[in-house]
Parts: sequence; structure tokens; C-alpha cells
Amino acid sequence: MTFSGALTLTDLNDYITPSQACIKPVQQSNAPQNDRAPGDAATVIQIDASGAYYEVGRSADSNGGSKKLQTAEISLNDCLACSGCITSAESVLITLQSHTEVLSVLAQNPSPGAPGHRVPVLSIAPQSLASLAAALPAPIPVARMLRRVRAFARRTLGFAHVFDTTFAREIALREHAREFFERKEGAPGAPLPMLASACPGWVCYAEKTHGEMLPFIAATKSPQQVMGTLVKEWLAAHYWDRRPDEIYHVAVMPCYDKKLEASRSDFYNDHYATRDVDCVITTGELLLLAQEHGVDLSLPVPGEDDAPIPISSTTPTLPDLLTPPGSSSGSYLHSLILAVARASQRPLTLESKAVRGNADYVEHTLRDASSGDTVFRGATCYGFRNLQNVVRRVGRAAGVQVGRGAAGRLAGGLRSSATREVMACPGGCVGGGGQLRAPERHSKTSADADGTPLWNTRAWTREVDRAYWGGPARPGPGSGDLSNKGNNKASCSPTLELSSGTESDDRVEALVARVFLDLSAPTGPQQEQEVGTGAGSGPGPESRALDEARRRGLFRTEYRAVESEVVGLGVKW
Amino acid sequence: MDVDLPYRVVSVADLSGHDDRAWHVAWNPAKPLLATCSADKSVRIYAYTPDPSPNFVLHTSIPTGHTKTVRGIAWSPSGHTLATASFDANIGIWQREDQDDAGEAVGGEWECVTILEGHETECKSVAWSPTGTFLASCSRDKTVWVWEAQPDADFECMGVLMEHTQDVKCVAWHPREEILASASYDDSIKLYLDDPSEDWFCFTTLTGHASTVWSLAWAPNGQYLASASDDRTVRIWKRITEHEWKCVLVLEEHGRTVYSVTWGVGKPGKTDSGSESLGWLASTGGDGRINVWAFEESPEATNKRPPKSRLIARLENAHGVNDVNSIAWCPRKGYEDLIATVGDDGVAKVWKVASV
Repeated sequence: MTFSGALTLTDLNDYITPSQACIKPVQQSNAPQNDRAPGDAATVIQIDASGAYYEVGRSADSNGGSKKLQTAEISLNDCLACSGCITSAESVLITLQSHTEVLSVLAQNPSPGAPGHRVPVLSIAPQSLASLAAALPAPIPVARMLRRVRAFARRTLGFAHVFDTTFAREIALREHAREFFERKEGAPGAPLPMLASACPGWVCYAEKTHGEMLPFIAATKSPQQVMGTLVKEWLAAHYWDRRPDEIYHVAVMPCYDKKLEASRSDFYNDHYATRDVDCVITTGELLLLAQEHGVDLSLPVPGEDDAPIPISSTTPTLPDLLTPPGSSSGSYLHSLILAVARASQRPLTLESKAVRGNADYVEHTLRDASSGDTVFRGATCYGFRNLQNVVRRVGRAAGVQVGRGAAGRLAGGLRSSATREVMACPGGCVGGGGQLRAPERHSKTSADADGTPLWNTRAWTREVDRAYWGGPARPGPGSGDLSNKGNNKASCSPTLELSSGTESDDRVEALVARVFLDLSAPTGPQQEQEVGTGAGSGPGPESRALDEARRRGLFRTEYRAVESEVVGLGVKW
Repeated sequence: MDVDLPYRVVSVADLSGHDDRAWHVAWNPAKPLLATCSADKSVRIYAYTPDPSPNFVLHTSIPTGHTKTVRGIAWSPSGHTLATASFDANIGIWQREDQDDAGEAVGGEWECVTILEGHETECKSVAWSPTGTFLASCSRDKTVWVWEAQPDADFECMGVLMEHTQDVKCVAWHPREEILASASYDDSIKLYLDDPSEDWFCFTTLTGHASTVWSLAWAPNGQYLASASDDRTVRIWKRITEHEWKCVLVLEEHGRTVYSVTWGVGKPGKTDSGSESLGWLASTGGDGRINVWAFEESPEATNKRPPKSRLIARLENAHGVNDVNSIAWCPRKGYEDLIATVGDDGVAKVWKVASV
């Protein structure tokens, strides 16, 4: 299967061993050829005991010597372009993107100021922080865990900056909502229902096996890749006075497939020959780094309960832990619900229903409060199984699914119009394949009443979910008193208020506007100035069109279906 | 043929027509129809006249549209719907075109009403749950999928079970409860249940076969499961407690791989000692042999005792020199002594197990 949901490094066994189409042991070079009888090969290839390939001449004009052939290496990009095997790609990236790779880059990094020095920057996903926080013998709020990770990464590993990815997510959510309204207005080639794009497992699966789904998947970049843009193009260029290739950007993610995402060619800067995110490690690998350095994340660090730096558009830093209400997988659907509610002239009510009591498939409906008309439908769909149903329903509605007879006649289901937050892992991102395993104390609950063993991973995923929400819902000005001393009560997602935003929303809005203004402007440090909401949209239509193109370039991406040519090994039974 | 056995396997019909090896045979549980599928990508459906001398005629041949071998077929309990499992990685769902107001198929062509996509590679087997609520499928991609049948030929995926470490050869539902069994090239059998608040999960793994497990058949009373293997044996697993199954018997009467096993209610009638009849088990495989066993259990039998088994009939070279790939008892009342087989010769054969 394609997903890292249940995949950990130890599970990697290539059940479809690198498929036939994938084996390209010999690098071809187009050397001039002598004339000879058609079909008469000039050389033969021999393989020695060690598996090396030799080209041996056999025609009269050759001297009979043999030449060792260069072995072509299969790069991650080769794997991404192939639908043949899945786990081979995973095993390739283990060497390319691993915690040992991080250590080796940091060890070889020339000292600051020396030529070739790269500024090391670490960005961590809030789900990773939740996993680390929940796994401690005495769980702590995620805000405190962020301080501890920051302290460890700066002091021990030598990172210059440590951020969480929530501000990047904030930008992604805004762009996602913008894209939704564009689609609603009938943007060409961008049909509804829109399917969220933050899950690389889902995107990769759709590209490999359901190309017909790609037009529905939001083109908005994931938080990880928006973070890449923020670090390498905004902070580096405008505030640190660095080129993108002078930054070494490491992301800590709950998911193995984020490694694949970071490797996509869209996220590679050709001009500077650098990736927006240079290396992705999982939550588990970050913990391994800490353990290998003898750092215990259960121990407090100085200032870990200090109030965060207030959000401001005048200081070039990213606010900590913006956690919009909704889902622990990024609130993609809920941010749309809020956007639709805020755009509505009339009061709306929200109705949420777990289909068959399944927490991994929850439908949300916005209705006009007075008429009861449905204004918006959406669903959060997690896990491979629910993803299959998304593919089926959306495919059916759009008439893109194969099927004859009645299948064609029945096109257009009731639930087909729903926008969906799709995540490949059961439980969503908090249950990602790169997260920490359930600690010992959890394994005791793994049998039901009559002794039937049950998977305990679900219970553990729920605990990580609680940890995700356990921190302050929205730290920042106004809620600066982080009164969470020992207060790690199990809380759930804050209630969704359909009313308009708060003061801190305005400050985030201003910072987002600042980012966009800076990125639209010629490179160079900006003057410290307060930027108002909506700045940058003042000038005429031409400049607005330019702004729009620029924004798309910064915050959107695209997908490509991968043709399957590999299946069909001539199975006989 | 062994002369000392009390029953004989008597030929009733020889049905040729497939252009390539025939893989699977399935009796419609409600109507006088028999379906076979083949590497020629077609499904052939035969109709038959009532006993005592049923006459089989071709009812229809469905080209299916599958792009590769049709490896497995299954009738829904109502008999209205046929599912096909193909090497093209898809499951096809077939119904007759014309239905009356009650949804009863009354005529017309068999048409594909939907395709279940999801498996990555060759599908090997497909099976309906006893109520027709669920459909299970399995594949070389090592997964077992559970689908829920919904109105308007819609299906919802209820679970993707990634428990086996190799190709999954067969899926089979318990005759009364919603318990699913799967058999694999990894030599194991796995049993699954639905956790109402979560997903389907594997609650036990049965190990013991020394090679690929090709086929599964539940006893009509649901207390036993039979498995056929490349290790040339048929194993009988007994329900010890609600969620615990143990191998209680190993039948070694085949000279080559046992490809298929089927468990019917057998000929109605009294057993010798007042024991409860557990029905008749038939097996076949690479040796071309059909074996038929009668099983019974005395009322005072303890939990771990094997059932009493008796080989009652045997036929050699059922399809000449060819492998026999599938065998199935007719489930319809009054026809319980009929079995059907298909083989590498592309022929479907119907047999009656009759007293000597």
C-alpha cells in the first residue's frame, strides 16, 4: 500500500521487489558504432560474482578486453515518476532524508561567516509536537514542548532558528479558502468538489492510481512547502540577507510521505539549486536525535512557560502555535466552513455528523438558519478506507469513473458535492506513520472485554489528538497569560464560532499581508513599518493581476498523473 | 475407483465452451443457474432442469469486459447479483438488465452495474456475506477488502485489511455470522470481525499448513472451517471458543496440491450412531482427483475432539490429465448431492454423488 499510515522503517520489505521496469543497471552512453550485420551485437554484457556489469567485446576488431560499466543509481525522482513499487522509493529516501543526513550536514557546515556556511533552520509540525508531548511519562502542553525542542535544536544541534509550521499553515488555509471561492465561481479546469492537498500520501496515491482525481485536489501548497517558501524566500531574502541556497532547512513531520513531498520538482529552486525544504525527518527521528545527544525532553528548560512574543507585522519572526479550531489534521475543512460563514449575508447553522459513528468520516453541513437550505457541505475523511469512498463518490459524481450499464445512469450522488479534508492515515495527521509509537503505559489497554486483542493505536492516536488541543487554543496578544502551569486537562477542539474574527486574527492578517507585500517587492531588507490589512491590493487591475500571478507562484503547485506501465508480470494463477 | 467406498461420483454433464482454462465454478443459491469463469475473460452461465436427471444448457455467455483472466465468481445470497474477481485488479458487479418493481431480475442481458476499483494487482477471489450485506475481495497486493452493498448498486469500502504478508488466494464468509476468513500464499489463514466503533480487524491467525492455502470452506453449521493447501492436505479447524479456532484434523488423500474444497450439507438421512451429520466435504486439485468425505459428530463430543470423518467416494482423473481448479456443492434444496468442477481443460463438469 502506498501509505505510511502503518509503515515504519522496520516494516520495509519490498513485496513487489523493484519491478522489472525499474531495473536499469547499465548507464547507456551513445558511443559511435561500427557497421556490422544487423542484429549482430558487438559486445556482450557479463556479470561477475559481485554483481558488477562488464561490457566485453566479441567482434574481431575489439581487443577482447572488458570494461566495467557504471551502475545507474535510481534516484528518488525516478521512483516518484514510476508507479511500479512503493517501498523502493521509501528505502531510497531513507538515505537521502534521515536524521543521520541532518547530523552530517550540520557537522560539515563551515562556521558562520565562512564561505559555504548554510544557516540551519528547523520547522516542526504541531502534530509532531503533540506526539512528543503526549509520549512523555507526564504529558505537557505542546507550547512547552515547542520551547524544549527549540532549546535542544539551538543549543545542542546548533540550529539558528526553530519555528513551528502553524503560521505557514495559516497562509495555506487562507490560500485554500481563496482557491475554494475561485472554484465556486467557476475557475476553468478547477472543478468542485475540492479535495484538500496537505496529505502527501493521498496526493501521491492519487497521482499513481487515480489520475482522474487530480483536478479536484486543491493546488494550494501544503504547510510544509509554504514554510519552505517563507524560510527561503521571505525570511532569508528579506530579513537575514541570505540566498535560498545559504539556508539549510529541516522539517520535522508526523509523516514519511512528507519526505517525498519535499523532493518534488515543483519545490526545487533551479536558479539556486536548492530545495525549499532540504530535509524532512519524522517525529520519531527527532526523538532519536535527542536521545543520541543525551537530551531528555521530559526535563524542563528555562523560560519554557514564558509568554510568546506578541504577533506583530513589524518584527520578522513567525508566531508560535496558531491552532485554528477544527481538526488536528490542519482544520482545512473548518477554515472553509468559517470562510463561507463569514462571507454569508445571512446567519448560518452548522451541523456535524459522524457517519455510522465513525470519527474518521464526519460530515458537516452549513444551513441557512431561517430557510434551512444547505449552503455548504463538507466532510473530513481519514484513513485509506474512507479515502476509497471519496474516490468512488467523487468519481461517480463527475462521471469519470469507469463502469457501464446502470453505473453510468446512476451518476451524481447526493453526497458528491461535499468538499473534503482527505488524510491517508486513520485518525488523521496526529496518527501519522512518522509519529511516536504508543508508550508502554498504553499497551495494557489492548484487549476488549472478552479478551479479543484490539489495535491500541486508535486509543493512542486519540491521546495525541487531545495533546494537540491541550495547549492554548490561540496564544498571542489577548491570551498572553499562558496559564497552563500543570494544566494539561484533556480538552477537545475549541468550539467553532461562526462569528467574525478576533483581535489576534487581525494581527495574523496583517502579518500575512506583510509577507505578501515583501514577497511581491524587489528583494532586500524592508523598512520596519506597520502594514495594514489588505495592503497591496490598492493599485489598479494590472498590478492586481500581477499580484495574483505572483501569489499563485508562491503558494500553489500542480500534480501529474503517473502512467502505470509496470503491472502485468504475467501472473499465471 | 475404490470399490470399498459406499458412494460413487457419477458424471451428469460435461460443459465445454471456455477457450482457456476455467478457474472457478459457482452455483446460484436461489435459481437453477451455474456459473463458470475463465482465463478467456468470460463468464458462462448454465441453466438446468429439475432433478432427478437435470439437463444443463447454456443460458448465456458474458464477455465481461475484464481485460484479464476472470479468476473468481460469487453469487449473492438472493441470487440476483454476480460478482467477478479479475486479474485486471477490478471486481465487477453484474445484474440482469430488466427488473420488476420489487427489484427482482426478470430477464434481459447480464450487465455490469458497477466496478469496484481499489486493488493494486490481480484479484483472486470474491465472496458475499450470508445476508448479502458485505462483499469481500482479495488480491495479490496482499490485501483483503470489505465492501458494504448499498442501494442502487453502490458500494462503500468498509475496510482494507493488510494482514497477510503475501498474495491472498481466497476469501470466505462464515455461513451465519459476519466472520470473514482469508487464505494466503503466506501459508496462513486469517479470521476477521467488524468492530462496530472502529474498523474490521483480524482476530486470529490459523497456522499449520506447510505451504500456500488455496481454498476455504465453512461447515454448514459454522463450527468448522476446512482449508485446502499446496502441502497436499485438507485441514479441519474447529471453533473451540467464540474467537478461538484449532486444527483438529489433517486429511491426506491427495497426491498433489489441493486447489479447492467445498462443504455441503450432504445427502439427507440418518447417521449410523445417532450422531449429528456435519455434511459432506469434497476436495480436488492438481492430481485430478475428487475426494468426498462424510463428517459427523456425536452429541457428547468434547470441544477438542475431531469430528468423525469417513472417505465415502473418490474419482480419479476428473478432468483427464488436467488440474482441477474449483469444486462446489449445489446449495439448493433437493440438489445437495450435485457437485460441479472446472479444470485447466476449460470444461465445467457436473457430478452426482450416488450410492453404490
